[in-house]
Amino acid sequence: MNKTAPNIIIFTCNWDGLSSIEAASQAGYCYPSSVKMVRVSCLSRIHRGLIIKAFELGADGVMLLGCEPGNCHFETDAGLIEQEYENARSLLKLLGLREERLILAHIPQGDGYGFMTQLTCFITELEQMRPALPVRA
Amino acid sequence: MFDTERELKETRINLCLDCGKCTVVCPVAQHDPEFNPRLIAQRRLSQSRNRPNDESIWSCINCYMCVERCNYHVKFPEFIQIVRAEAISEGVQPQCSHGGALQSLMHLMARKELKQDRLGWLPKDIELSEPCDTIFFVGCAPYFDIVFSDLGVNTLEGVKGALRLLNRAQVPFNILANERCCGRDLLLQGDREGFLTLASANMEEFARHGVKKIITNCPEGYYTLKIEYPRFLGSMDIEVTHLIEVIAPLLQSGELNVGSMKQKVTYHDPCTLGRCLRIFDQPRQIMGALQGLELVEMEQNREKSLCCGASPWVHCGAVNREIQEERLAQAEATGADILVTACPKCQIHLKCAQKRGDGRASQIEIQDLAYLAARSLD
Repeated sequence: MNKTAPNIIIFTCNWDGLSSIEAASQAGYCYPSSVKMVRVSCLSRIHRGLIIKAFELGADGVMLLGCEPGNCHFETDAGLIEQEYENARSLLKLLGLREERLILAHIPQGDGYGFMTQLTCFITELEQMRPALPVRA
Repeated sequence: MFDTERELKETRINLCLDCGKCTVVCPVAQHDPEFNPRLIAQRRLSQSRNRPNDESIWSCINCYMCVERCNYHVKFPEFIQIVRAEAISEGVQPQCSHGGALQSLMHLMARKELKQDRLGWLPKDIELSEPCDTIFFVGCAPYFDIVFSDLGVNTLEGVKGALRLLNRAQVPFNILANERCCGRDLLLQGDREGFLTLASANMEEFARHGVKKIITNCPEGYYTLKIEYPRFLGSMDIEVTHLIEVIAPLLQSGELNVGSMKQKVTYHDPCTLGRCLRIFDQPRQIMGALQGLELVEMEQNREKSLCCGASPWVHCGAVNREIQEERLAQAEATGADILVTACPKCQIHLKCAQKRGDGRASQIEIQDLAYLAARSLD
């Protein structure tokens, strides 16, 4: 494992988000082991507390991976994740961490290539930044 | 690291007579029959080795009502802090309100590498003095306004009002770009390690900038910097004062003049500023200096003031909501247009009851004292 690879947490929804990750693995794409997935039933389950907690536990970046607008499995996607995303970005800015450390990606169902493109770009961006706030031993 | 037995002795808990007066006045106990300060003390002090995990220790709201009533001045809120610290050291995890966002923010702020970008809100008309050994401690207001944006919370307005008042009074001050949370809520919820890391980081920052005097507008920050920092880190060579203590004497002596305001207001004494630090008169003096302002008192005021139902961001629930609604009803009953408070946390908790309650809570306008006074300057 590359020690300098940024620690990334991906909060992914159980539907289009997860299917794109599965499609990527079936297609044989590779990503660093420092990328960790947390699977939730819908991205609306994720709130600012969980996002900030990921940074507290040492994440350098967080990706929120969900269905495309209008394609939510639960049909009642009320834009909750967008609110939490904006809120968490503002908090990251105050903390002096760059807002770009948090991204929201909406991926079509089973789009492994699309997922890998987003993830690779994110990793490259994070590699160019200084590490976030490391957890002290 | 901590001498628990000595600390317990300092709270005078061993003087508890089992009289139950604390339970009678405790706002939590009035809404939750399961909560009983006297029995919590009894359970902790009993010598049984396998004490069951006492869930009720997390319900105390640190309002100091019990201390006010206790004949022996047993410091129950400090006793609760010790019991919570013990529980945390035994692996108990408190149930964090707001998804734990505030706890995570406090822990992140404790990191050495932190370089915050927290002055974006500072209005251009505020004059900062550089270099200056007096600083204004802003506290967590920039974070509160984002975390609680959906409640319409605007605690930074209070801070801006405080800065405008200081400018008008020609009191020089500077603001530190990388000050951290004072850590009060971590201490209250028993996370002493987290508190000490934040406190040490703040003290380092103060030393680096040669700070000699701190003015703050947040009662929680004031209490922590003035009382808890010297208690945990040893004596410090910094004078800590509250904005109200700076402004009220200047208004009394006529060195500072505020304007007029035709409004009927009622004042909510924050527990930390009132019962804890005994600052009851100065906020009323400030409001008295505003011409045309009519101050009406609530049924429970000054030493008997009802808490806003705050908690150190843990175990906030139905009982807290009932206390908040009761306080708002008391404010409504006065017929006042505005409920004035001097604490950002009171504002957050009361606004939460207004926005997220079931519609029963009074929708009276809530404003910060410093904001109200500064508004009259225009």
